[in-house]
Amino acid sequence: MTAVAQQRYGAAQGRSLFGLGLNTWLFLAPALIFFLWYQVYPIVRVIWISFTDFRFLTGEPGQWVGLDNYIEALSDPLMWTSLWRAALFTLMFLPGTIIFPLLLAILVDRVKNQRLATFYRVILLIPAVIPSTLIFVLWKWMYNFQVGPVNLLIETLGGTPQMWLGGTELTLPSIAIMEIWWGLGYHTIFFLAGLAAIPKDLPEAARLDGANEWKIFWYVTLPRLQPIMAILVVLRFGTAMAVIDEYLIFGGFNRDFPTYTWTIFMYDQAFQIGQWRQGFAAAIGMIGAMGMMIVVAGLLWIFRPKG
Amino acid sequence: MINRREEEYLIQQAARRELLAGRINRRDFIARTLTSGLALAGIGVAGKYGISAARAQDRPLTPTFYQWIEDLHPSIPQVNAQFPGINYQIAPVEGFGIERFVAEAQAGHSTWDVYVGQTPFVEMSAMIEAGVIEPWDDYIPQDVLDDMIPAIREENTIDGKLYGWPFLLDVIGMSWHSGITTEAGLPDEAPETWDTYLENAKAIVESGAAPYGATFDAHGWRSLVPFAHSMNPDIYTPEGLFDFTSDAAVEALILMKKIMEVSHPDILLAGASDGGVNGTPDEVAFAAQRVGYYTKYFNAPLRMAQYWDNPADLHLGPLPKFAGGAGSTVFWTTGCALFKHGKNKEKVAEYIRALTYDRQIWQDSIAGTETSHPGQLPPYKSIYAEWDANPPEWMPPFVSLVRSQLDRARAISNHLFGLQQFVIGQPIWEAYLKGEESDPRAALQRVVEAVQAEMSRG
Repeated sequence: MTAVAQQRYGAAQGRSLFGLGLNTWLFLAPALIFFLWYQVYPIVRVIWISFTDFRFLTGEPGQWVGLDNYIEALSDPLMWTSLWRAALFTLMFLPGTIIFPLLLAILVDRVKNQRLATFYRVILLIPAVIPSTLIFVLWKWMYNFQVGPVNLLIETLGGTPQMWLGGTELTLPSIAIMEIWWGLGYHTIFFLAGLAAIPKDLPEAARLDGANEWKIFWYVTLPRLQPIMAILVVLRFGTAMAVIDEYLIFGGFNRDFPTYTWTIFMYDQAFQIGQWRQGFAAAIGMIGAMGMMIVVAGLLWIFRPKG
Repeated sequence: MINRREEEYLIQQAARRELLAGRINRRDFIARTLTSGLALAGIGVAGKYGISAARAQDRPLTPTFYQWIEDLHPSIPQVNAQFPGINYQIAPVEGFGIERFVAEAQAGHSTWDVYVGQTPFVEMSAMIEAGVIEPWDDYIPQDVLDDMIPAIREENTIDGKLYGWPFLLDVIGMSWHSGITTEAGLPDEAPETWDTYLENAKAIVESGAAPYGATFDAHGWRSLVPFAHSMNPDIYTPEGLFDFTSDAAVEALILMKKIMEVSHPDILLAGASDGGVNGTPDEVAFAAQRVGYYTKYFNAPLRMAQYWDNPADLHLGPLPKFAGGAGSTVFWTTGCALFKHGKNKEKVAEYIRALTYDRQIWQDSIAGTETSHPGQLPPYKSIYAEWDANPPEWMPPFVSLVRSQLDRARAISNHLFGLQQFVIGQPIWEAYLKGEESDPRAALQRVVEAVQAEMSRG
């Protein structure tokens, strides 16, 4: 419906708001209420709280403190350390969510036997349907220094057992490996959908023109998978930077642990320490969110449609 | 949705009681239950039989328990069976998190009537500060109050009011695997001093009886504090914080480093569950029979020994002493908190009395069951007196040991930072344990500064 038609439709109904008739607003209302109440309001509320000295434990209303919380957070070395740790984890995790699923999707896509292809897809999706609690229990046991199978295997092969979790330097890479494994099937399905959308005659034509498999992949397949990659990178960047469950479970609140990221810092201040300074915690959250938004804007620019 | 259904259920139960008591007829009952469902769904209008009247009725007794208590004490359902209609629930408190309780209190209501899982030094001050709980004094019977062991009663009291009704007593002590110590040629008795403890632990490693000599739980309230108490328990500042720069604390930290020399390399790592505080590496090592000596609350070795080839190899003893030290240790109770906005308060007191005096719970806790062996003890003088007068055949000797240790032990002082001071300080004092800082006192001084800095934030 064009703007002119909308105006005419509204006018015909005798009532209009922003060019939309009452009936239109009635249909829009459920989604609008949901959007405003569950998405806009919490964000606005957190922004407001971040400018107050609100302490949840006391129950007293927060007083306006301007930028004090932001200044305090930005001048706290823990803020920067914890942001860096989250970024480090993202750098470890993000390439794995693209490269391995992409390679796997290309391999599965080449399976000609339909039953076998379906079987591979089901196998790949198994980790994605396991509840998170079971995943964490499984990998905690796998990585256990004293009785875990990973170290038993290393010992059997003559190597030195490593402390994979619980605050060592290996903790973030270990969690990243777990996360990559967990999402492997799910991300592979994304790429399989992208591969299915590529017309089959394109690689065929390239092959007839003498292109080898590598060139077909590089010049034909990869550019057409770019929108899928963009979606995955942006979505998974957000989830990787904002991981909290895994860090709470694998690390707790020890500030020296690499799992003490800005999300844990925020949670710690909001729900653990002293009088639960949620104004300060909200400022930490807003700083983290702003940083992520800047990077997401950069990613969207990198993956913008070209040509 | 779940909340709405719970409310519908509660209102229908209230209406049912009215009907059974003859205060309303069948027609009223049906109208009331129908109206409550519609009103809560947000569709209907509460009319003559609106929800307010029904909601004013009391709801079923609704206790909520920290998960581990249910796991370790399988007889709790038998107590629940004495309270028909009880709405027993598991609390959303992983890692000692009380945010749900606080949020409900701020909103002026509580889903539950009583929380079973409160440890005074951990969260009691915060629960009071946030107006989540109220004192038991108006509800607890005087004979129960008089029956509490005085030190335990004091632990649960702030400003003269009893905010915690104690249930499960834990005392920190020492245990050893006699199969390992015997193989190492050591006497089958508890080392009296830390020096002997360390010598024995070294002997275990050197003899090859086990890969590691001794272990501890790296969380401050489970190692630094009890080790310090073994030298001197009076190491709290006037405001109620642990005095990290006291001589006792410094000696405790030095001792931890010495124990680490004969312990497993992952000793300082986070635990596997409950926000890293449980399923700790010391438990894994002791359960896997890879270490000879162990210091922790007694229920830990009792639970871990269940995985041994021969659980009878477990022996328990008091915490060793420093030469000339006080020989004290740490105790705490896990108990019950009365929600200010909860209901059924008299009934709750009845329930907690039944729970905490239940003889089957104590027998199972002490003698163990097929599924668990927590070894936690009761907080009442009368139960010990009863056992002293007529010792049950299932009574193991460790009970008298733990009871005697309690008389020497001291609780960690209650404070808003009672637990958090150790969480904040741990990475700082661990700099000394890891060799990144050579001066233990300097490391502990930085802990004080970090705790003060965090307190000054508010």
